[in-house]
Amino acid sequence: MMNLEMAKKILQTGVKKAKEMGKLCSIAIVDDHGWLVALHRIDGAPIPTAEIARDKAWTAATFRRPSVEVSQFGDPKVPGYGFNVQNWNERLTTIPGGLPIWKDGHVIGAIGVCSQTPREDVPFCQNVLKDFFGEERVLKPKKRIVQKKYGRK
Amino acid sequence: MKELTLELALKMLEAAERWARDIAGFPCSIAVVDKSGTVIAVHRMDGAAMATTDIAIEKAWTAVAFKMPTLMGSRWLDPRNMGKLMGDHAVGMIGRGKGRLCFIPGGIPVTDEENEVIGAIGCSGVPAGVGDISDTTVSQAGVTALYE
Repeated sequence: MMNLEMAKKILQTGVKKAKEMGKLCSIAIVDDHGWLVALHRIDGAPIPTAEIARDKAWTAATFRRPSVEVSQFGDPKVPGYGFNVQNWNERLTTIPGGLPIWKDGHVIGAIGVCSQTPREDVPFCQNVLKDFFGEERVLKPKKRIVQKKYGRK
Repeated sequence: MKELTLELALKMLEAAERWARDIAGFPCSIAVVDKSGTVIAVHRMDGAAMATTDIAIEKAWTAVAFKMPTLMGSRWLDPRNMGKLMGDHAVGMIGRGKGRLCFIPGGIPVTDEENEVIGAIGCSGVPAGVGDISDTTVSQAGVTALYE
């Protein structure tokens, strides 16, 4: 389970790493139900990043998958079509940068990072989690919802 | 001290958490915002209710927006003061600020040497009580740590 002590340590790792890279970002940690545990905004990071980081973490924790993968529900062939526009809690986002934290086959929480470009955020999240937990806990079970078949019949 | 940095915010949170745990004895959420009202750091202690993070942020936002502790604003909205203070005017403040205005005691602004507001701290999760057991004293502990 996610607790404040663990969240603080993850954030410490992340803030240190971001400062080394000169990355102005906000980092949010939520628990397994998507509730905020801790959030840090680095000095000089843009104002909206705090809320966006939290939204990304919420999405990752509640959907049990990286926040960018929620966008696959925009495909009518996927069961659960339309989840990506259901604005639960006014927090749902499909911007990349939120990753769930797996431990023993369960999601114990999620991390959300928001900086200048979303594409940089995902590798940054992965690096932070790798540094903190070691490789094996970061890897999520690779399972797609359905086998997608594109092309005409 | 012109600006509230992440480092200072964490120092405040550390002291406030210690107070909440050791002296008040209740787990709670504590938030620090800068002078624009934006969150710098939020911590929710283990065992605190989930919704307290939002309330702590809102309290800090209100403290910085009105440049005064939310304890003072809560006196305006107290129906017992209706007609005596400016209570009958301030009731209209409920629900203003896109719903972010929160006049529950617990938010305290932080000022620099020239009495300019540079940020605020908000706490939520301690049941309203007497003496040392309240949201305001937890926030005060955080502010005090800044000037040590």
